[in-house]
Amino acid sequence: METPTADDLLQFRDYSGGAPAQINVNSPTHGGSGGSGGSGGSGGGGANAQRQRGDPLADLIYDMTSSAQGFGGAASPDSSQPQNSSLDGSGGGAGGGAKLSLFTIEYYQQFFNVDTYMVLERIANSMIPKRAAGNYLRMNIGENPDLYGPFWITVTLIFSIAISGNIASYLQQATDSYKWHYNFHLVSYAATSIFLYANILPAVLWALFKYSLKPVDSADAVETDSASYTPSLLSLMCIYGYSLAIYIPVSILWVINISLLQWLLVITAALLSGTVLIAVLTPALRNSQFSLFLIVGILSAHVVLAAGFLLYFFHNPTVLPLDAAAPAPAAPAAPAVPAALKAVTQAVVNAVPGNQTH
Amino acid sequence: MDSKLDMFEDVNTSPSLEGDMSIPGKRTTTATSASGVPDYNTLDEPISETVLRDIRAVGIKFYHVLYPKEKSSLLRDWDLWGPLVLCTFMATILQGSSSADSMADNGPEFAQVFVIVWIGAAVVTLNSKLLGGNISFFQSVCVLGYCLTPVAISLIVCRVILLATQTRLLFFLRFVTTTMGFAWATYASFVFLGQSQPPHRKPLAVYPIFLFFFIISWLVLSHN
Repeated sequence: METPTADDLLQFRDYSGGAPAQINVNSPTHGGSGGSGGSGGSGGGGANAQRQRGDPLADLIYDMTSSAQGFGGAASPDSSQPQNSSLDGSGGGAGGGAKLSLFTIEYYQQFFNVDTYMVLERIANSMIPKRAAGNYLRMNIGENPDLYGPFWITVTLIFSIAISGNIASYLQQATDSYKWHYNFHLVSYAATSIFLYANILPAVLWALFKYSLKPVDSADAVETDSASYTPSLLSLMCIYGYSLAIYIPVSILWVINISLLQWLLVITAALLSGTVLIAVLTPALRNSQFSLFLIVGILSAHVVLAAGFLLYFFHNPTVLPLDAAAPAPAAPAAPAVPAALKAVTQAVVNAVPGNQTH
Repeated sequence: MDSKLDMFEDVNTSPSLEGDMSIPGKRTTTATSASGVPDYNTLDEPISETVLRDIRAVGIKFYHVLYPKEKSSLLRDWDLWGPLVLCTFMATILQGSSSADSMADNGPEFAQVFVIVWIGAAVVTLNSKLLGGNISFFQSVCVLGYCLTPVAISLIVCRVILLATQTRLLFFLRFVTTTMGFAWATYASFVFLGQSQPPHRKPLAVYPIFLFFFIISWLVLSHN
C-alpha cells in the first residue's frame, strides 16, 4: 500500500492550495481565496447564493472544485465570480496550465477580467475611506488587478481636464465676446502629466517597497507570510489609477469660477483619495523600513498633482483682472511697481497656454 | 453561363442584389462573382463600372448608418473607405490655422484629428476585444468610422451656422445640433456593436464608445 499512499499524498498536496500557484506573488493562500470570494460576494450585488460567507466546509469544497477545474480552462461554476476564474488565469499565466505568449490577446485578457459591478465597486472604494476591507490590496486587487479601470479613468481625466480647462478659460474672458479661443495644447500637457503620475509613481513605489523590506524573523512562521508581502507592480498601478477617479467630477466642478470653492475642492479631493491610498497601502507600508517617508511622499505627490491641475489648467481668477485690464503692448506705460507686478503675473499667465498671445 | 448573364443584367438594375449575392466564406471583394468563378469578366468592364460598384457599396453603408435597422452589411462587408473620407473631411474643416494671428482658432492640427479618430477607434476596438467581445478588429473600426457620419453632418450644419454673426441663440443651436449628432452616432454604433459583448460587461464596452464620440463632438462644437 506504499505507492497508493504516496499518490494519495501527492494528490492531496495538489488540491491543498496548489504548488504552482505559490510561484505567483499574489497567489491566494487557502483561506485567502475564501476571503476574496467573500469580499467579492459582499461587494457584488447578485453574488453567489449557494456559498455562505465564512462557512469553512463550503469554502473548502469550493476551493477544491475550482482548483480541479482551474487549469483545464473551464469556467468556474459560478460565472458571476470572475475573481476565481482569474485565479486560474493568473496561475496559468505563470506556468500552471497553458503557457500564454506575450503576443497573444489572451494573455492580456486576464487583466481585463472584470465585470461592471466590480469596476464600480473599485471606484467607490477609491473615493470613500474605510470602505475597503483591511486586506483589500492583497486579496481583492492583488488577486485580480485590472487594467481597464486605470486606463479609462486616466483617459477620461485627461479629456475632462482639457475640456473643463477650455470652458473655464472661456468663462473667465470678457462676457460680450463669443469668440472662444480653443486651446488644444491643454490635452497634450494634461496627458503627459497624468500619464507620468499614473505610471512612473507606481513603478517607483514598487521598487521602494521591494528593496526596503524590513528584515523578517524567520522563526516566526505565522508572521513571515504577511511580513514579507510586497504588492505587485500591477496592483500598485491599479490602485493609483482608481485613486484618480475622484478628480473627474472635481475637474468638472472647477469650472465654477470661485477661487475659494476651487481650493476647497482640491483639498477635499486630495484628502479623501490620499487617505484611501494610505489606508489601502497600509499592509505593504507596515513591512517597509521607510514607512513614514513613504507615507509623506505618497501624500505630497497626490496633493502636488491636484494643486498642479488647478493652478495650471484653471487659472486662478485673481491673476486675471491685472491681465485683462491692460492689453499686452501697454506694459511699458505703467509706473514701476505695478509694471513689475504685471510682469510677474504675465509671466505666470504666459506659462498657461491659451490665455496669452505670444 | 446563365448565372453570369444574370449578374451582368442585374448589377445595373438592383444594387441590393450585390449584398445578397455574396456568400460568406467565398467572397473576397465586392468584385468577385458568387460561385467563385475566376472574375476575369471584371477586367473587361469599364473602369467606371468597377469604381461605381465600390462607391455604391460605400453609399449603402452610409445609408445603413443613418437608418440603423439592418446590421449585416456593415459588419459582414466591412471596408474602410467611408471612415477615411469622413476623417479627412472632418480633419480638413476642424484644423485651426497656424498663423500668428491672435484671434486665430488654436484648434487641433489636421494630424491630431486624424490620430484621434484612427487611434481612438483602434483603442476602443482593442478594449472591446480584451473584454471578451467576439467581433473582429476591422469590423469594429469600420463600424466606428461609419458612425462618424452623424457627427460629420452636424459639423457641416455648425459650419453653416458659423457664417452668420454669432449670438447666444446661434451658439445654443450649434450645441443642440452637436448633441443630436453625438447621440445619433452613439445609438447607431450601439446597435451595431452592442450584441458582441457579454451582458455583464456591456456598459464597460459601451463607455469607451461614448467617450470617443463625445471627444469628437467636443471638437466639432468648439470649432469656430
